[in-house]
Amino acid sequence: MTGTDEVATEVRASPTTVRQALHPGTWVIWLVGVAIALTTTRNPWYLALVLLLVALVLKVCSPPAGEASRDPVISPWRFGLIVVATSTLFNVLMVHVGDTVLFNLPAWLPLIGGPLTLEAAVYGALNGLVLAGIFAAFAVFNRTVPVRAALRLAPRAYYPVAVVMSIAVTFVPATQQQFQQIREAQAVRGLRMNTMRSWLPLVVPLLEGSLERSFQLAEAMMARGFASAEENVNRRPQVLLLAGLGSWLAGWLLRLVWRQPLLGDLLLIAGTGALGLGLWLAGRQHPHTVYRPTPWHWQDGVVIAGAALVGAIYLFPLPGIDRSSLFYYPYPALTWPAASALIVAGTLGLGAPAVVR
Amino acid sequence: MIHFDHLTYTYPGAQQPALNDVSLDLPEGELILVIGPSGSGKSTLLRCINGLVPHFSGGALAGQVRVEGLDPVVATPKVLSRYVGFVFQDPEAQFVTDLVEDEIAFALENAAMAPQEMRVRVEETLDLLDLEPLRNRPLKTLSGGERQRVAIAAALALRPRILVLDEPTSQLDPKSAEDVLNALVRLNSDLGLTVLLAEHRMERVLPFVDRVIYLPDDGSPILSDEPRRVLNQIELGPPLVKLGKSLGWQPLPLTIKEGIRFSRTWLANEKAQGKAGGDPVARRIVHRKTHPAVQAQKLSLNYGGRKVLRNVDFAVWPGEIVALMGRNGAGKTTLLKCLIGLARPQAGSIMLDGEAILGKDVASIARDMGYLPQDPNTLLFAESVRDELFTTLHNHGAASKTGGEWRLAAGAAAVEPDTLLRRLRLEHKAAAYPRDLSVGERQRVALAAITVTQPRVLLLDEPTRGLDYVAKEGVDRPPQTVARRRHGRCTGYT
Repeated sequence: MTGTDEVATEVRASPTTVRQALHPGTWVIWLVGVAIALTTTRNPWYLALVLLLVALVLKVCSPPAGEASRDPVISPWRFGLIVVATSTLFNVLMVHVGDTVLFNLPAWLPLIGGPLTLEAAVYGALNGLVLAGIFAAFAVFNRTVPVRAALRLAPRAYYPVAVVMSIAVTFVPATQQQFQQIREAQAVRGLRMNTMRSWLPLVVPLLEGSLERSFQLAEAMMARGFASAEENVNRRPQVLLLAGLGSWLAGWLLRLVWRQPLLGDLLLIAGTGALGLGLWLAGRQHPHTVYRPTPWHWQDGVVIAGAALVGAIYLFPLPGIDRSSLFYYPYPALTWPAASALIVAGTLGLGAPAVVR
Repeated sequence: MIHFDHLTYTYPGAQQPALNDVSLDLPEGELILVIGPSGSGKSTLLRCINGLVPHFSGGALAGQVRVEGLDPVVATPKVLSRYVGFVFQDPEAQFVTDLVEDEIAFALENAAMAPQEMRVRVEETLDLLDLEPLRNRPLKTLSGGERQRVAIAAALALRPRILVLDEPTSQLDPKSAEDVLNALVRLNSDLGLTVLLAEHRMERVLPFVDRVIYLPDDGSPILSDEPRRVLNQIELGPPLVKLGKSLGWQPLPLTIKEGIRFSRTWLANEKAQGKAGGDPVARRIVHRKTHPAVQAQKLSLNYGGRKVLRNVDFAVWPGEIVALMGRNGAGKTTLLKCLIGLARPQAGSIMLDGEAILGKDVASIARDMGYLPQDPNTLLFAESVRDELFTTLHNHGAASKTGGEWRLAAGAAAVEPDTLLRRLRLEHKAAAYPRDLSVGERQRVALAAITVTQPRVLLLDEPTRGLDYVAKEGVDRPPQTVARRRHGRCTGYT
């Protein structure tokens, strides 16, 4: 067919269809950066900064209402409040350490009896903030990356699994809708929901309907050349994967338990290599190509660099950066947390997604 | 192109073979229509062509099938997917992805086609079925007809030479069905694609069909010939063909145009003999009762900030049959749901036999007003067809179960379930598991389960979707009816 190329370029250039989106891989790296920052520090300044940046990214990068692929089950903000409150309460009641006593519970009460301190409250709240921040970061990922794009990140060896997962995701809303229809259909037959047995007319059609739909879909996929179980599957990749995992575990144990860093590192490297090779070989057994692979842009580079910078600052001792402010600890007496200007500046890297958009 | 050689196939666990000694020879480039009563093995025959039978279904197969020189039993459905495209009944249940373009690309991705070539193929396929304007749309936002066209496009992406469709329009409204069938006719005439189609709505395709295969369910031989010859030998057929047969018009008219030509000469003859004349039979309703069976006044309903119903007024008198028509999304289903109490209008009143029913619970309204939902599957759950009917009665307190035996309550105003099953031609299925039945049979079971309480008013939400002509006639007329069909001709409902 002549002229196809022109058609293709025209479509790719049209502004309504192509929305400049970050690569799902970039989002994963950003997520890891946020998680590293949140889990390595308890300094309220840094935690607050990270949370602020996540909130900013959530606000800027969320698709407009109605276009979001999934509605969040619970708003990250409400969830955050609940988590911070429970974590504070729990810590105050359980940990009776610290100098600033707010209140005394009678000592005969099991577990919660004793002095309730301000320090315990602060530490509980900080831990709550960490959880809330991680949840909010996942909310960003969930809202900005379509399920299918995320599943494409799965190694090619697991392509059939990824396809099945992505179908399962669409099955949930379909099943909800069907449940509603069944409820109505049984109501017009005079069904009253008063005993446990009256659930039977709802559950049976739902299960049977889902099963029928699954079979139909399986047939349709087979008719279009999707075969999950290939004949004459080569077992070598599986063996490699297993060996890689074993070697990894052994190396890790050597390092950690028997204090043999050199041998341990060697085994870790060998294990990683075997895993990679195994995945690559397994992937070759499932030949398939991707229509319109997600492209990488310079924006992805910026975001990855920002996340990598944060990861490096929070994890490794870098020359010229004083990391002592990362380790904030309110016990025994509350102190004003210190902050390093360099770390604050580096942490700003997590806000990159909001800037490049 | 496709040869069946003494093919006999039995489903696992079945007593009777679904296909018995089938020998067919189907040449290339034809548009072939497969017809037969429900349960006669149409789906099974079609699935033999790409190897889904026996690869997916299991069972015992004897004889041989050849498709483009390949044996689908030896070569797998995966290999056959390059030669045979397959489209199923339910457009929703065959989609793997959620975007039009991705859906078309799915088969190509599985075939590990180079991305450059894949893009060309997707463009071509989009053009082939006029899907270009829809290419970036999520599948859930498409209408039924558009979805089925996407399904056809997805089946054609690998450029098979044969396209097989198993009742592709049975879940669609008449307008969408027409779009789909027109697309098929074009694919056949423009590209020379061999198309095998199992279809209930014959009148639309018959004029273009090269060959009709008739699968009987009573053991008589399979017919495979030019449409007129087959239709002359069988009872099944669209209304026009039946009319032609009963008046002895030969060759049988397949299009309205041909029918009009016959009817002109026929009318002239009748006039000459002084027989014809007078008006066509008109149906007159005598309003004997003092109040209507159902009356709605100033019914208004907002849903999600949208006015679905605004000041709807109507009255239906006892004995009347009313067809409710309107475009997709015009609020037809919503109106019916208001009547039965499943949706709550914000304003207005609904009277059933002079009694206000707004605000009453669904179960008590349903006793006097039957409502048949679009999808009969949502209704069926019992162990047998007979149980299904008795369960409805039990819900309304008109039947009880003692020692595994159902008994009608004394003085219950209900049809004896076995009588009703006989009337709906379901008596031989009374002990069958409802979900094992064909689509048409399920629909009739659902209707029976609703009407067994003898409701005074019956609401039907697209009741003839997926029914063949015989089954449509089998739907018995209850005493008082509100009928609803989309873009409806009321004739199908008798």
